[in-house]
Amino acid sequence: MNQNNKLSIEDVYKSYGNKLVLDNIDLKVAAGELCTLVGPSGCGKSTLLRLLLGQEFADAGSIIIDGAPARHPDPHRGIVYQKYSLFPHMTVFDNVMAGSRLSKQAWYLPWKRDKDDEAFAISMLERLRLVDAMRKFPHELSGGMQQRVAIAQALMSKPPLLLMDEPFGALDPDTREQMQIYLMELHEEHKLTIFFVTHDLDEACYIGTRLLVLSQYYTDDRGEEPTVARGAKIVGDYRLAREALPTTEKSSAYFKAFVEQVRANGFSPNNRCHVRDFNLKHPHSFQTLTREENQF
Amino acid sequence: MTANYKPVQPARLFGVHATPRNWHKLVLGLLPFILIIALYAYASHARKLDNPDDKLLPGFSQMVEAMQPLVMQPSPRNGQYVFWADTLSSLTRLALGCSLAFVAALWLGLNMGAFRGLEASASPFITFISMIPPLALLPMLFITLGVDEVGKVALIFIGTFPLMTRDVFIATKAIPREQLVKTLTLGGTQLAYLYRIALPQIMPRALDTFRLSLGAAWLFLIAAEAIASTDGLGYRIFLVRRYLAMDIIIPYVAWITLIGFLLDWALRVLARRLYPWYAGVNSK
Amino acid sequence: MKLFRSVILGTALLASCSALAADKFKMAWSHYTGWEPWAYAEESGILKKWADKYGIEIELTLVNDYVESINLYTAGQFDACTMTNMDALTIPASGGIDSTALIIGDYSAGNDGIVMRNAKTVADLKGKDVLLVELSVSHYLLARALEMHGMSERDIRVVNTSDADIASAFVAQKDVAVVTWNPPLQQVRQVKNANLLFDSAKIPAEILDLTLVKTAADERFKKALTGAWYETMAVMSGGGKAQKEAISAMARSAGSTDAEFNAQLQTTQMFYQPADAVAVATNSKLAETMDSVRQFSFAKGLFGVGAKTVDHVGISFADGKVLGNSKNVKLRFDASYMEMARDGKL
Repeated sequence: MNQNNKLSIEDVYKSYGNKLVLDNIDLKVAAGELCTLVGPSGCGKSTLLRLLLGQEFADAGSIIIDGAPARHPDPHRGIVYQKYSLFPHMTVFDNVMAGSRLSKQAWYLPWKRDKDDEAFAISMLERLRLVDAMRKFPHELSGGMQQRVAIAQALMSKPPLLLMDEPFGALDPDTREQMQIYLMELHEEHKLTIFFVTHDLDEACYIGTRLLVLSQYYTDDRGEEPTVARGAKIVGDYRLAREALPTTEKSSAYFKAFVEQVRANGFSPNNRCHVRDFNLKHPHSFQTLTREENQF
Repeated sequence: MTANYKPVQPARLFGVHATPRNWHKLVLGLLPFILIIALYAYASHARKLDNPDDKLLPGFSQMVEAMQPLVMQPSPRNGQYVFWADTLSSLTRLALGCSLAFVAALWLGLNMGAFRGLEASASPFITFISMIPPLALLPMLFITLGVDEVGKVALIFIGTFPLMTRDVFIATKAIPREQLVKTLTLGGTQLAYLYRIALPQIMPRALDTFRLSLGAAWLFLIAAEAIASTDGLGYRIFLVRRYLAMDIIIPYVAWITLIGFLLDWALRVLARRLYPWYAGVNSK
Repeated sequence: MKLFRSVILGTALLASCSALAADKFKMAWSHYTGWEPWAYAEESGILKKWADKYGIEIELTLVNDYVESINLYTAGQFDACTMTNMDALTIPASGGIDSTALIIGDYSAGNDGIVMRNAKTVADLKGKDVLLVELSVSHYLLARALEMHGMSERDIRVVNTSDADIASAFVAQKDVAVVTWNPPLQQVRQVKNANLLFDSAKIPAEILDLTLVKTAADERFKKALTGAWYETMAVMSGGGKAQKEAISAMARSAGSTDAEFNAQLQTTQMFYQPADAVAVATNSKLAETMDSVRQFSFAKGLFGVGAKTVDHVGISFADGKVLGNSKNVKLRFDASYMEMARDGKL
């Protein structure tokens, strides 16, 4: 197994009651990737994220994060949510310092200071242009600023894998674009490994270095719909070339055509691709099919 | 010809658009107090004309005269200033009962809200005992704990603890799950979540609950003091009731009301100072 | 203006409405052995019979809380009320309500007592907590007991305890004394090792149980009450089936068994014959008793701030003698109605 893999998932199944949500998922993510995950609504993106986070556990299969099986939430992965990422009772500075303090101080001795971490936090706030808001509480900030603080807070702990759950979903388009650029810059600067869940295909194609499409719209050799319950699989795995990151890229004809192709392959109930023919072009991509799924 | 519109003048007192000036508010706010005092003074005067020895509605000078020895002169019996000694013992009982209940409720409610196992075991029980009418327990408390301080403090505790616990529990449970996951991914332990993330977040709400419980606590205090005591505000009221000394009862009731009002106000100011973020979060 | 004034008084919840109907009178009573006959008088129709005789209506109301019944009388809600001589002086009389002791029903001869575990005399009270209803006749009894044994209240600690809880408090606490009346007195005496140190039989005819009416009340009302009372007394002491039934009815009203009620009657010196009551009312010892009661009450501040001296309120007696301020007589011991009952002139 490639030791460089920050994340590796094999044969993962997850169901709620009778409903199968994740159906034999296989995935390896190498260090340094900004891996975006998209899919139609209800396909199980959030479920997969919760499994990675350790908030829930798979019915079968293995999830290895940074060389260790995923257990309850711990500092092996960071998380940025769409909301509730910040602690409402702490100032911006305290929120950014939370990781350092929570991990290094005993809970009953909250007054030991770490000068190095404080300096790093300040530099982080400077980088994200938040120094002026340092003493403010989260509710006093705009949505974009709150998410910048949340990212800074997660990065302070230098997690091997950073999970992001629709982090820019509640922002207006301009702020959103600005945040996307921030994120790409930070990704390059700090050599981060990011697993980014979004329902916005444009966003996924734009910021990622690798694009994953999770979808329940596919066929295989197990039989017809009502008799066989199918869950979502990774139906597309693309390597994305990221160039100079101009925002104008989004309006280029090539970008638009690519987005449309991905949409047609993963998002349409009328256009189902067979498991053998998934578009898994990424070099790290792998797929283990069961005999029932692929009978030839 | 252009119409010469006057700038709009908002109404001062009447209608839904009214924005009273500050001195308007002061006068309007004082008005009910003045009215009730005037009404009382008139009724008292009228009864005095009928019966100069009337005890029911004493005049203000009569109250001052009756209160003077209690407030200003040490009692010949034990050298204490009766009024202040009563106030001190009542407030001590109230503070002791309420703060014990508050600390216990905070701890239990927090743990119940965070730990599902404890919730399963304690929640039905707390819901059940919160239905006990505490005053009905009074004879039992006096028998088991005696008529001294312990029984009274215990009544206040039992009267306020279950509801405060439930409220803290509900508030803790209402904290988004994301906050727990966030704490753990940032390297915090479960106890760190409990005491450094959850506790400060529910404190302002808990202080609100504490403030609202004070009303009930007063009721239990007065009831306990009325039944068996050697001093206290409730004791004095029920003692002098034996000879219908309204000239003492009315000032005592006014004093209790004033203390209650000031405590409520002080707690609100304290919560605002300590948790400046709370009002902002709630208004969103 | 007059209308406005009565509206004001009415809104203060205090106006007396009995003045509105001239032929309707209201009386309050509370549970106590010596007053249970009133319950029987109403139940048996004796009260109605006498009211009809004088062409009036009498409404008898049970007020469950003793002090509250007196306060309501003082506030003007009732024309008559049952209470002890001490409370008659300190609540209505010192509150300016001119009242007449119409009937002296009984005196406590053991109905009030001091009880403590493992003790023999009043001297053993020294340094102990004493549970009692402060400023009540219990307090007076204690003061008299201490005085007779050369002690004072400084030698003990008084803990004000509601009469409803006094028995259970005594059971729970081993090292305290209680001063109380029946029925709780019966209960505390049954506690193991508990002894009666002192009781009201040692101060006979000092704790009198009265039926008090407003002095200004209608003659017919006073006569009807007196007539009904002594007819009830006659049934109660007349023997035979009627007496048994009357006692049973009173026991039921008091919430006790016939045996318990009879035991309580043992320590209640009822004046079944009007002549006996007249004898107490006209005896000069009554003035001595009332003097000791008023000295005690004044020392405790029970007359309120208006009273600068013990003589503030005047008390008049059957022979016309007045104790205290003769210009401010508010409590009158009047034997004339009991005399009418004695002479069969009602």
